[in-house]
Amino acid sequence: MSRVLLLLRKDLLILRRSPLLAGILIAYPLAIAVLVGLVASYGSAKPRVAFVDEDNLPAMVVLGGHRFHVDRTIREVSKNVKLVRLDHDEAERQLRDGRVVAVVTVPPGFVATLRGLVRSPQLELELSRGAISSRVEQQVQALVYSLNRQLQTAYIESNLRYVSLILEGGDGSFIGQPITVLGIAKAQRLLAQMPQTARTRTLLDFLHDARLALANTGDALRSTAHPIELVRVPGRGRTQLLSASVEAYALGLTITFLALLLAAGSLAAERDENVIGRLARGLVGLGHLVWAKIALAAVVALTVGLAIAIAFGTIIEVANVTGGVAWRRLPLLVVGLVLAGGALGALGALLGALAREARSASLVALLVVMPVVFLGLIPPEIVPPAGWLSNALPFVHSVKFFRSALYDLSPWGEVLRESLWLVALGAVFGALARVEARRLLV
Amino acid sequence: MTPDSPLLAARGAGRTFGRKRALEPVELEVHDGDALALVGPNGAGKSTLLALLAGALEPSMGSIERRKGARVGWAPQRPAQYGRLSARENLELFARLEGEADAPAVAGQLLESFRLPDEASPSANLSVGNRQRLNLAISLLGSPHVLLLDEPTAALDPEQRRRLWERAAALREAGGAIVFATQNLDELEREASRVAALRDGRLVFAGPLAEYDRFQAESLSA
Repeated sequence: MSRVLLLLRKDLLILRRSPLLAGILIAYPLAIAVLVGLVASYGSAKPRVAFVDEDNLPAMVVLGGHRFHVDRTIREVSKNVKLVRLDHDEAERQLRDGRVVAVVTVPPGFVATLRGLVRSPQLELELSRGAISSRVEQQVQALVYSLNRQLQTAYIESNLRYVSLILEGGDGSFIGQPITVLGIAKAQRLLAQMPQTARTRTLLDFLHDARLALANTGDALRSTAHPIELVRVPGRGRTQLLSASVEAYALGLTITFLALLLAAGSLAAERDENVIGRLARGLVGLGHLVWAKIALAAVVALTVGLAIAIAFGTIIEVANVTGGVAWRRLPLLVVGLVLAGGALGALGALLGALAREARSASLVALLVVMPVVFLGLIPPEIVPPAGWLSNALPFVHSVKFFRSALYDLSPWGEVLRESLWLVALGAVFGALARVEARRLLV
Repeated sequence: MTPDSPLLAARGAGRTFGRKRALEPVELEVHDGDALALVGPNGAGKSTLLALLAGALEPSMGSIERRKGARVGWAPQRPAQYGRLSARENLELFARLEGEADAPAVAGQLLESFRLPDEASPSANLSVGNRQRLNLAISLLGSPHVLLLDEPTAALDPEQRRRLWERAAALREAGGAIVFATQNLDELEREASRVAALRDGRLVFAGPLAEYDRFQAESLSA
């Protein structure tokens, strides 16, 4: 049996002898993965937005013959934000304090401008600074969009009543004034009763065409108001909790935590046990020692990663979740887990060699895990330097590998690219760990 | 090195830790049949010299030479073993690493010879004396020609001390050698054939035991 395997077997035996440690090492990252999931869902929670009414909006506004209950309308259109009514000064103060993320102000004369139907009234939006301001702006835009849709519907119905009046005739009102309209249908009947000449026939033809055209006005108005309409088909996708991303992140986070801590702690422990000198005097080279820790990380990552993947897949199977489980992809996942565990183990070994003492190494590894993971969670399109940094660490490549291996229709390109990244990073961190392992002999 | 050359030799070997020079360059040879005692106060550099001779530390200057094929066993002052493995598991692991053909059999012999408990409990739970016995037992794996022992009897009972020195004597009779660090004058007088004295990281004396007595007397009078 090679010396690396002898040391690996010894480390696994020691790990088995520490069930509490092994349990915590597995439970802790899973708990963190759940918390990250909760934080991520909290991130999409409703932000608090101040609503300042400087126009003294009435309880009810009638537009185009449509009645709008102001508070009910606001509730209906503000599904993605929590609107709180505040006066101007209080809203400004809370925006400065960060208690509200935006202020939407209804300026004086808003309703009068709206009723005038001559120009568009304006809502004023004031945003806080920071990462979520663009998201809040999108949500307020969505709010205005929803409001506009309700108004459009009211206006279209109002316009269609005029069209109906023109078609059928009867009593109505225009700009508040009562009117009586003959209507095309009655005009046709009257014209038909008149002596038929070339002129009356021309007029009858025109009225016939006009009636046909006006009959289609409703659809035309609606399609003009909404050239493209988004219709949501319910219940087709997986829940967020069982999504491909969550599985990939849970795998990535768990094995990052395990591999870093185990490799760092077990390498430094060789010095704590005073065994490093005994090994280094020709029994086991420092390179072999680093390899053994990389192998330990890879074996544990493979075992725990497969257990997570099988548990995840079982839940999906039992619950008959949309999409099913790609069991045939498990061999590809095995490759990813070994490569990711190895690359992360090499980084852990480097930390262990630098820290030199098991407790310090474990603490350093614990402190390093979070930035490594969170760097990988930041979208590189938003903060490019975070993307560059996370590219130099194995976590993000592990997650990309897992996601592609498990769910991409044709994963080979992505899997090959991420494999090369993991091998390259593992080689670099492993070589650095080998150099730094000399410090353990001091 | 030829068969007539020393089993082990320090050629200007010294060691620094950061800026601190723990051991000034040392010239020292260990020959067949030697029982070389390293003496000196705490911090004199005895353990560092033993670790250099064992190959556990690399010298910062000079070199360590070993006769071709000569095997070295080393028992550091602080026991070097895995606390979560049992005594048997430690012995079997190091026996395999030393290349012993039948590691379980060798481990069994050493457990019996050192009267170590053959239990599954971790070696960290052993008494201080038993941990030191295990430390010494591990150093004997691989049938070493030279045994490097750092204050080996500090935690041993009289019976185990006697057995240890019997093993050392047998090794010397078979053409091997021992190098041991000690603070015990009785052991020095009884077991050593040569002495190397260190003080503040410097080798201040190296020679036969009889000359060391004279060196000490002169040092005291000076």
